[in-house]
Amino acid sequence: MENLTNLVTMAYLAAGILFILSLGGLASQETARRGNLYGIIGMVLAIAAVLALAMADTPRPTTLPLMLGALALGGVVGAVLAARVAMTSMPQLVAALHSFVGLAAVLVGVSTFLHPHGEAVGVVELIEIYVDVALGAITFTGSVIAWAKLEGRMSGKPLLLPGRHLLNAAVVVGVVVIGGLFVKTSEPGAAILGLGGLEWLLVMTVLCSVLGIHLVVAIGGADMPVVVSLLNSYSGWTAAAAGFMLQNDLLIVTGALVGSSGAILSYIMCKAMNRSIWNVVFGGFGTAEVAAPSDAPAVEGEVQAIDVDGVAALLAEASSVVVVPGYGMAVAQAQHLVNEFGELMRGKGTEVRFAIHPVAGRLPGHMNVLLAEAGVPYDIVLEMDEINDDLADTSVVLVIGANDIVNPGALEDASSPIFGMPVLEVWKAGTVVVLKRGMATGYAGVGNPLFFKSNTRMLFGDAKDSMGGMVSALRS
Amino acid sequence: MKIGVPREVVAGERRVAVTPETVQSLRGLGFEVIVEAGAGVGARFTDDAYLAAGATVIDDTRALWSGTDIIIKVRPPAQNEAMGCHESDLLPHEGRLISLLFPGQNEEVVARLAERKATVLALDCIPRISRAQKMDVLSSMSNIAGYRAVIEASHHFGSFFGGQITAAGRTRPARVLIIGAGVAGLSAIAAARGLGAEVRAFDTRAAAREQVQSLGAKFLEVDFEEAGEGAGGYGKQMSKEFIEAEMRLFAEQCAEVDIVITTALIPNKQAPILITQEMVESMRPGSVIVDLAAERGGNCEATVPDQTVEVSNVTIIGYTDLTSRLATHASQFFGNNVVHLLDDMCGDEGFYVDLEDEAVRGALVLHVGEMMWPPPPIVPKAPPPAPAPPPVVAPADPVLPAVDEPDTGAGLGRSLGGLALALSFAAIGATADAAFIQHFTVFVLSCFVGWQLIWNVTPALHTPLMAVTNAISGIIIVGGIIQGAATETNLSVILGVVAILVASINVFGGFLVTQRMLKMFRK
Repeated sequence: MENLTNLVTMAYLAAGILFILSLGGLASQETARRGNLYGIIGMVLAIAAVLALAMADTPRPTTLPLMLGALALGGVVGAVLAARVAMTSMPQLVAALHSFVGLAAVLVGVSTFLHPHGEAVGVVELIEIYVDVALGAITFTGSVIAWAKLEGRMSGKPLLLPGRHLLNAAVVVGVVVIGGLFVKTSEPGAAILGLGGLEWLLVMTVLCSVLGIHLVVAIGGADMPVVVSLLNSYSGWTAAAAGFMLQNDLLIVTGALVGSSGAILSYIMCKAMNRSIWNVVFGGFGTAEVAAPSDAPAVEGEVQAIDVDGVAALLAEASSVVVVPGYGMAVAQAQHLVNEFGELMRGKGTEVRFAIHPVAGRLPGHMNVLLAEAGVPYDIVLEMDEINDDLADTSVVLVIGANDIVNPGALEDASSPIFGMPVLEVWKAGTVVVLKRGMATGYAGVGNPLFFKSNTRMLFGDAKDSMGGMVSALRS
Repeated sequence: MKIGVPREVVAGERRVAVTPETVQSLRGLGFEVIVEAGAGVGARFTDDAYLAAGATVIDDTRALWSGTDIIIKVRPPAQNEAMGCHESDLLPHEGRLISLLFPGQNEEVVARLAERKATVLALDCIPRISRAQKMDVLSSMSNIAGYRAVIEASHHFGSFFGGQITAAGRTRPARVLIIGAGVAGLSAIAAARGLGAEVRAFDTRAAAREQVQSLGAKFLEVDFEEAGEGAGGYGKQMSKEFIEAEMRLFAEQCAEVDIVITTALIPNKQAPILITQEMVESMRPGSVIVDLAAERGGNCEATVPDQTVEVSNVTIIGYTDLTSRLATHASQFFGNNVVHLLDDMCGDEGFYVDLEDEAVRGALVLHVGEMMWPPPPIVPKAPPPAPAPPPVVAPADPVLPAVDEPDTGAGLGRSLGGLALALSFAAIGATADAAFIQHFTVFVLSCFVGWQLIWNVTPALHTPLMAVTNAISGIIIVGGIIQGAATETNLSVILGVVAILVASINVFGGFLVTQRMLKMFRK
């Protein structure tokens, strides 16, 4: 038994190292697949080790088939989800998966309270359980709401209850107070207000679930990348908390890795929008301080519309083209046509590149995945910082379903709510063609002076239709 | 009404206040124009051209001055050596004069004109408001001076401006530094860029940044924040600290660039010295400095007004007549500005001094001999004055505050954070049990590993990163297994098994979808 425990601990160490290598592998496209493989090996090792250990001293060997069955069922469900998901729906899938981590953590937490792992249950252990369940509950409901918003089951608009900051604060205070009650009543038989430890734990779970819902409903669609990364981070911290609770270092290591990863992604997203994490989580776009309607008239003038043939004529003379995809491209599912367009242009000897803004889409790196799916070579897909300086020397920029990320107001207009956000400076190019359904504003609800610039042409219509028209125009 | 256009008497002045083209415009406004013979020669306008445009050409200078209602000329009245008298003495009693005057520097001339009860409009005093832009002689002349400065520089510079790659070898583009991005500076940027040079520009006014960048030049900045907007779109005098930072920047730049063009002026003050003797000496042999502020003392210590000097193999051009060196177009712009002013003033009565008209009031120096200068200050309207920070630059304020300014604040925050961390470590060490501390150690170290690791992930793979971290956070399955196996309580087992179920969705779903995504990335 002693030997097995040591062996399992070594397996945990190996799994931890494999997870680290896995994340390290994602540093470049070349090593990424190997990285994923390391992750899988690590996970197999960890599960095998813990199963072996658990089975060695289980009081009820009959649970093994039950557990294997659950594992298999979950595996099938996961595999089907992974195989079926459209790349445009990645944000939803990621959010949904986060919710599972949260749910699992709550279940494990409650289970641990019912049957403590160590011999002595002290205050520290109780607090660990409490924290694990709290984080799990917030992650769970928050992710469910994020999923619903991304999937379109719920309005993407922020729902702002009056006094919501007060409400949040009250819930947090309540959770802390109940934590005290929980610790006091955790002895069997002890009770306060007629409720025992388990009941208090469940009351807190409900409170935290409400908090998770409330936090995420208040956040608008454009901020979803940050929310999804944040929930990613939470799911990591939840796992780490579970590790403390179960005294399991592998959980702690893995949780900390995931937690930092999500935190960094959130930070990158916030920086790309020039906002603080507090502003994203608690500020909410479109709230009182923005008052979009009064700002909107600041942008006025004539837009110059263009048709597909006009764009084709422009492109015929272009020596370099930069394509700026936004969420609109994903919505219209136009990425395959965009790739075809790129191939055709490159066939004609035109330099074609893609410019990705860090917050384009609803998930960090979402646009990259969509373009990769369509078959765009990743070495012509550039980050904002890599391409911004080249835009001035570009003949034609094609903006496909993007708005706020190409808004010159972010640099020029101090009154703009997105002022200070780094943007793709497409207006410096020879001509900018904006593919757009109509003159609606982006998620930030801000008018876009780009549309009124003298070198901007608007190609109205569905992005997929427009791209299709352009591809056939280029073919002929 | 008759307008008289005398021949300019100052040596080297080749411009003329009215061109044949503007003669036509003035006639359209109802004026009769009389031009002194040879007035347009320096700007390549013949007397015949004036005649053809409908002007009268006369030879007699004295008759021209005394026989007309308004005299329009370029330079302030000066001694006419040929006639042995001062031009202002030629002006009839209660005569009217429109010209450059610089009343601040030419008090004596103003006094002479006042004696004659003259009405005088100084074209250099036209206020810089949007409406008066079309009459703003200083702007139109600055534009020309900036262009000409580059041409003069290229003339003295023994190399190409644009880079070349030829069979006979390659040259790199010339580097041009332009100090002061006013009208002259911007025009110089455009001209130098047009010749293919690599251009950088500096200005104390933040609003200049976008203008500089829009012309394709690099905007230089000092690490010091102070708004340089003075009244009326000019620069103001900056604080001592700012100037020191600025001088450091210039010293660095001088060692790098081939051409320096300085255009820094502060209203009614001696031009500031920006290029010191040492900076000149640090420049590469063959470099050229053009000092557009030469007339007001110069921005370069080595400048000699009206001359080209060489100091340690660096040519320093201090011409004050750059506009005159482009006399044809300078005259054309000048003439058009004058036409716009008269158009603004007259209506059909000819010539009416409206004291309520900001542009006219600003330019008015003498009104029937009465001193009207300096005019009461105009409530600033047009060019961006200081109060609201100009939008263009503002990125410097809200965007990078953490990086730029509060270095001390960040340091303080960092040390406070460090202190808090140390205290919480101490607290944990003092109270927690050994097992917890061991786990805590693992936890903190893992956070650091994660932090170092994730920054290396290329942004293009952020979605796969989320998917893979998602999969490995399914490690919570370990918890489910431990709880599912290690207990006899039914509820506990069920909870554990359900946890295994949901966590395994995560594990499988996460890894498989990552695999699927990564397969798509191809070169």
